[in-house]
Amino acid sequence: MDRSFYLNLAAGGMRMPIGTHLVLHEQPDPAAIELDGDRLGDVCAQAADRFRTPLAVPLMDLKLEKEALLLALGVAPGEIDGFHFSEPPAEGPRFDSTPRMRATCDAIRRVAARPDLVPLGMGIGPFSLMTKLVADPIAPVYLAGTGLTADDDPEVALVERVLAVGTELLLEYFATQIEAGAKAIIVCEPAANAVYFSPKQLAEGSDTFDRYVMEPMRRIRALFAETGTDLVFHDCGELTDGMVEKFGTLDPAMMSLGSSRALWEDAARIPKSTVLFGNLPTKRFPSPQLTVEDVAWLARDLREKMAETGHPFILASECDVLSVPGCEREIMAKVEAFMDA
Amino acid sequence: MSTLSELSVAVEAGKRNDAKAITQALLDQGMKPLDVVEQGLVPGMSAIGEKFKNNEVFVPEMLIAARAMKECMAILEPLLAQAGIKPKFTAVIGTVQGDLHDIGKNLVAMMLKGANFGIVDLGTNVPPEKFVAAAQENGAHLVCLSALLTTTMPAMKTTVEAIKAAGLTSVKIMVGGAPVTQDYAHEIGADGYSPDAASAVDLALTLAEA
Repeated sequence: MDRSFYLNLAAGGMRMPIGTHLVLHEQPDPAAIELDGDRLGDVCAQAADRFRTPLAVPLMDLKLEKEALLLALGVAPGEIDGFHFSEPPAEGPRFDSTPRMRATCDAIRRVAARPDLVPLGMGIGPFSLMTKLVADPIAPVYLAGTGLTADDDPEVALVERVLAVGTELLLEYFATQIEAGAKAIIVCEPAANAVYFSPKQLAEGSDTFDRYVMEPMRRIRALFAETGTDLVFHDCGELTDGMVEKFGTLDPAMMSLGSSRALWEDAARIPKSTVLFGNLPTKRFPSPQLTVEDVAWLARDLREKMAETGHPFILASECDVLSVPGCEREIMAKVEAFMDA
Repeated sequence: MSTLSELSVAVEAGKRNDAKAITQALLDQGMKPLDVVEQGLVPGMSAIGEKFKNNEVFVPEMLIAARAMKECMAILEPLLAQAGIKPKFTAVIGTVQGDLHDIGKNLVAMMLKGANFGIVDLGTNVPPEKFVAAAQENGAHLVCLSALLTTTMPAMKTTVEAIKAAGLTSVKIMVGGAPVTQDYAHEIGADGYSPDAASAVDLALTLAEA
């Protein structure tokens, strides 16, 4: 889409949570809806209406791709959650959409039928997918940064092979979402952060962040460019300034960052054509220690600071706002507080 | 001739092959296994832990050091057991039910092991009753609960309640994880909260010795 669409949303003062999970869990049968594309699409649309945004956001469930990959490799459904590769998968499997993925694509089609809404897609980023498939990804990533290659170290080989296989799956899944009508896709890379990549090692010249995060992301970005699909890049992990700058080179339409970032400082690190999106501490919304008044103050403070930068900005949640059983009212009161502040 | 300070340096740098070789050499030189742990491995882990607290190094450096120490411990543990040397304190550790994240939990476990705690690692997605059973069976001084998700934090509360309901009044409970705070620890009745793995060792020692 024309980049001015997002810039105009920011200029118009739009604010929104990523709140589809909240609306889904107001329904009597959320698990059934997750498998029913039409109903799921209606929930996405309802969330957009509720939070007064044209952006219809899918559920941010970052387990779907791991499930699809492992089912394709013949892993039993009951073992998928705890499964980690102990040796590299030889061939990238022929990938079939799972029922949850098909429902996500059907939901995008459903939303696309509403001309007042923009259907968004959703998926995990390649590096974050890899971290879900390898038991201990941090050590081999660090070792790769010391100069060890896949030929030197079997754990480095495992990380690189799983990353490659996962990237192929993601390219296919994103293409399917684009065919379904997604105009923009939120790619979530929360593991591309300072826990998995040592800032000290990066400062000393390691290229692992570029090889393991940016290269796969550039392939995804190229697919989006070919198809006229916008990138919404999301990373709520602990980031260095350099990481934020690198993400900016992907030229996302919007960049969504976690509450650990001072967005008014990051504004100078990314192009003005990228809307900054975030980053109220919504992960703390279930806690009564963060009050409604605190949230309203944080929202006003952030808006004021961002206004001073002049950078396009949408006041939003730092991540998807999850419905936590027993805390639903507490969470919704805080969402309303920032929507109205 | 290898020295204990060389072992500390190798552990701190995460050079596992060097650390293993030095450990073996020290044993071959007649060094007592417990001395290798207390004067070689523990100072190395303490040094990297201090740097971590001061933001001079980060999780990957800590993990690499902890892996080096773990591999040295694999050489030393059978010898310690043979000599009848047991850790002074035992900690049961796990990620609470519904949560599959284990990086923070693993780091704390390895740091505690480096501080000579006996560790019973229950893994991830651990139901409350499993924490209770493990604490009872192992005579634990400490139970450490980890959670990375706001959605699984309530399982910490349930686990704390289960431990207290089982009458394990002498067992101290500490909690940690990205969304967890000191206030939350207090609210659910945990005995302590640690914001990072290095500080967890200090807290664990304070609680266990209390």
